[in-house]
Amino acid sequence: MTSPVTTGGTAPSGTAERPARLLRAIAVAVALAGSAAAVVLALGGGELALALVSLTSLGGVAIGYVLGREDGPMPGAIRMLMFRVADELAQYRAFTKLLRDQGERITESTGGAASVIVSGLTEMDANVDRLRAKVDETEELRSLVEAIGAPVVDMLGQLQFQDVTQQQIAFLSRLSLIVDQHMIDLAKQLGDRRSMDRVGNFKEMFNKALDDCVMTSQREDHHAAAGIDLQEAGGPKIEMF
Amino acid sequence: MPSIVFIVDDSATILMSMEAILHKAGFTVDKAASGEEAVTKLQGGLKPNMIITDIHMPGMSGIDLIRKVRTMPGIQFIPILVVTTESQQAKRDEARAAKATGWLVKPVQPDDLLKVVKQILPNG
Repeated sequence: MTSPVTTGGTAPSGTAERPARLLRAIAVAVALAGSAAAVVLALGGGELALALVSLTSLGGVAIGYVLGREDGPMPGAIRMLMFRVADELAQYRAFTKLLRDQGERITESTGGAASVIVSGLTEMDANVDRLRAKVDETEELRSLVEAIGAPVVDMLGQLQFQDVTQQQIAFLSRLSLIVDQHMIDLAKQLGDRRSMDRVGNFKEMFNKALDDCVMTSQREDHHAAAGIDLQEAGGPKIEMF
Repeated sequence: MPSIVFIVDDSATILMSMEAILHKAGFTVDKAASGEEAVTKLQGGLKPNMIITDIHMPGMSGIDLIRKVRTMPGIQFIPILVVTTESQQAKRDEARAAKATGWLVKPVQPDDLLKVVKQILPNG
């Protein structure tokens, strides 16, 4: 899995000055060493000049080390933390995809099962009708046949649950895609603190998802999640215009 | 001669279950799995006594189908019943403006469905 983090942005506040300070210190140390060596060399002290260069260079390294100990670990730690957060975000995306895939499988399996059940019920109903036509000897037998066939139509009606469930799952998939996009945006922003302000907020995105809400229950769930106490009038189940 | 009810829905379960319920009640049923397929059948000469359509379908929506039917000579005045999971008032108003005949929210009890269909097609 590749990390979607961009590293080219401005470092978080406070860390940008440290490398510059370190570089300045090293540059001064090297310049001092070079100047001293040049003066000594001009006076004819070749060995002494070499020793001065070596000594001052070591001093520069030492200064760099000291400054590095003071300032170096923080940017690295922050960067690692940012990478880790980006990785986590990427893993969340894999997780939401898993949820969507699972939703599709539920829809497929319930759709297939519902079709088989509808076919079976329809066939059973037809057979009960045929049996009803032949059974006229005893009242008891006729009642029994009626009783067998009676629940079939209601059961056929109840199978609409599959379509309703399918649409609820499709809605969840759309929501998770929005969350995915948000995570991508966040991961991209990890290297640029100034851009964090430009990341769209969840509330707006979920409000957009409301456009795809088809059920009152979904809208009420959304309102509850957003902390809005709003009970929506869904209208009657049957309305003739 | 039994009335023809034309059901339009992208859900195979809905198509099959409604067909079974209406067929048992004595209606002849024709089906389409999309708005486009419905239009093709209607343009091909299908003359139902009533259309039952879903709203949310891939491609042509139920509302668009109603608008289209209302422009088709010969069938523009047939009753169109919307059966959908949608319950938003704005959508209902949209369906009403498109000249839908009525609105039922899924899941619909078979008795309720038959009551409404028989109200629209009293002669069966």
